[in-house]
Amino acid sequence: SQGIIQRDETPMEKEIARLHRANFEFSDIFYFCRKGFEAIVEDEVTQRFSSQELVSWNLLTRTNVNFHYVSLRLTVVWVIGVIVRYCFLLPLRFTLAAIGITSMIVGTTMVGQLPNSSMKNYLSELVHLTCSRILVRALSGTIHYHNKENKPQKGGICVANHTSPIDAIILTNDGCYAMVGQVHGGLMGVIQRATVKACPHVWFERSEIKDRHLVTKRLREHVADKSKLPILIFPEGTCINNTSVMMFKKGSFEIGGTIYPVAIKYDPQFGDAFWNSSKYSIVSYLLRIMTSWAIVCNVWYMPPMVRKEGEDAVQFANRVRSAIAHQGGLTELPWDGGLKRAKVKDTFKEEQQKNYSKMLVRNGSIG
Amino acid sequence: CPGSSPPVTSHLSLPPTVTSEQIEHLHRRFKQLSRDQLTIRKENFDSIPDLEFNPIRGKIVHAFFDKRNLRQESDGLADEINFEDFLTIMSYFRPIEMNMDEEQLDRFRKEKLKFLFHMYDSDHDGKITLQEYRNVVEELLSGNPHLEKESARSIADGAMMEAASICVGQMGPDQVYEGITFEDFLKMWQGIDIETKMHVRFLNMETIAHCY
Repeated sequence: SQGIIQRDETPMEKEIARLHRANFEFSDIFYFCRKGFEAIVEDEVTQRFSSQELVSWNLLTRTNVNFHYVSLRLTVVWVIGVIVRYCFLLPLRFTLAAIGITSMIVGTTMVGQLPNSSMKNYLSELVHLTCSRILVRALSGTIHYHNKENKPQKGGICVANHTSPIDAIILTNDGCYAMVGQVHGGLMGVIQRATVKACPHVWFERSEIKDRHLVTKRLREHVADKSKLPILIFPEGTCINNTSVMMFKKGSFEIGGTIYPVAIKYDPQFGDAFWNSSKYSIVSYLLRIMTSWAIVCNVWYMPPMVRKEGEDAVQFANRVRSAIAHQGGLTELPWDGGLKRAKVKDTFKEEQQKNYSKMLVRNGSIG
Repeated sequence: CPGSSPPVTSHLSLPPTVTSEQIEHLHRRFKQLSRDQLTIRKENFDSIPDLEFNPIRGKIVHAFFDKRNLRQESDGLADEINFEDFLTIMSYFRPIEMNMDEEQLDRFRKEKLKFLFHMYDSDHDGKITLQEYRNVVEELLSGNPHLEKESARSIADGAMMEAASICVGQMGPDQVYEGITFEDFLKMWQGIDIETKMHVRFLNMETIAHCY
């Protein structure tokens, strides 16, 4: 994405060497001072936690940050747009969504009554697929699936980049997955309880989530059973604004089995799918989604990957992440999505400082 | 954003080439850092991951709250700063304009050097003493656990000697060099163009296509 300040990409070593010719040490502070100010004006990471800025306006006020009153004609067009979106599209979509969710709950409860058999699995898949499709229509979703031959198989783990809660619906529109997640209360909880009767989704209690070994064990058991549907996991752990892929948590990559990476890229021109959970609640987020023009996205299924010999979970996670970023045209950031709420770990800080002092030693300034 | 417009800044001494777009960008950035409050405190700078890398992070954040930099009459540190103060500090990093005359350039340069001087002079007494300089070097090298304190000290001592020789010339054996005053500091930088190194340049914003 376009930055707002001009950055000098000269590596630290070169720039400090240049400054040293002028005036020893007193000048080193220049480099870090400037870098510090650049970071304060604009930094790579925090801008990923707010919505992507658009080059041209798509008539939604929410993306109107750069735009002001331009002309009467445009305002009139915008007002018409508002009426269409709120008075026609919203009620229509809301009705569809209600139908979709009700069918899901009723359908899966009914299928759940059947004894375990191949018929039950078939019906469960049918119900899940149909309701997913209704829900995608409810969001006016237009999804292009690429490379369908690489669709995740049973007994595998499907891994994708995370932008919003509707990512799951985007994927289940085209195939059946076993969801993984925490048990919620309210409507979500009702849906979870109903669907788990029909299909072996993996829902964890809040207390169980804390125990990493328990989580890994349960997922391993699921994956080992080749007749079970592929698990769907979002390893970033939080919603990112769809311009970059952040650090993948290694837990998903320790389970073993085949990983099926999937890249999801939304087209921001029709509606912003990113959920900024620190700014909007889920309800206001869904309202915004339902009053956008549409949700348009591309989904790329990628060839399966397995952990190589001698590769540890972190390296494997990074390899998968690179592949997803490359396919989706997203930039890769080594940062943890948890930075949305937490501070940088000290280990990262030390790296930079170690580099600087190594340089001083090399330049013979010590001793 | 339709809801809030940035505050009026016409009374600040900003050069005409700082566009209202840039001010808006900075305002948005300010709101992001302040989490939609009217003022920023030191803690708000903790949310910038890129800044964590910086060894002199403490000094940079400190500089934002230093009353000397905020052009306030009193001394010491402010608890919180508003957007106007934020812009005041940012103005220390504005790039040179083509149409500046001699006097303006000189003032410009002095301002930037004064900012830097304040960073070193942490006790606000107008002099950079050996101890203050040692503190800065130690901070710059703080990340490397293998570097002993002695090495940091010897760097600092060496640099101060060099500074002393520029400022005072030959010193007698029993002369004590008290510290670098601002005039000495200026002398050290004579002939070296720091203006090109101490600035943050905004990219040229493409103006939005007019829908006429």
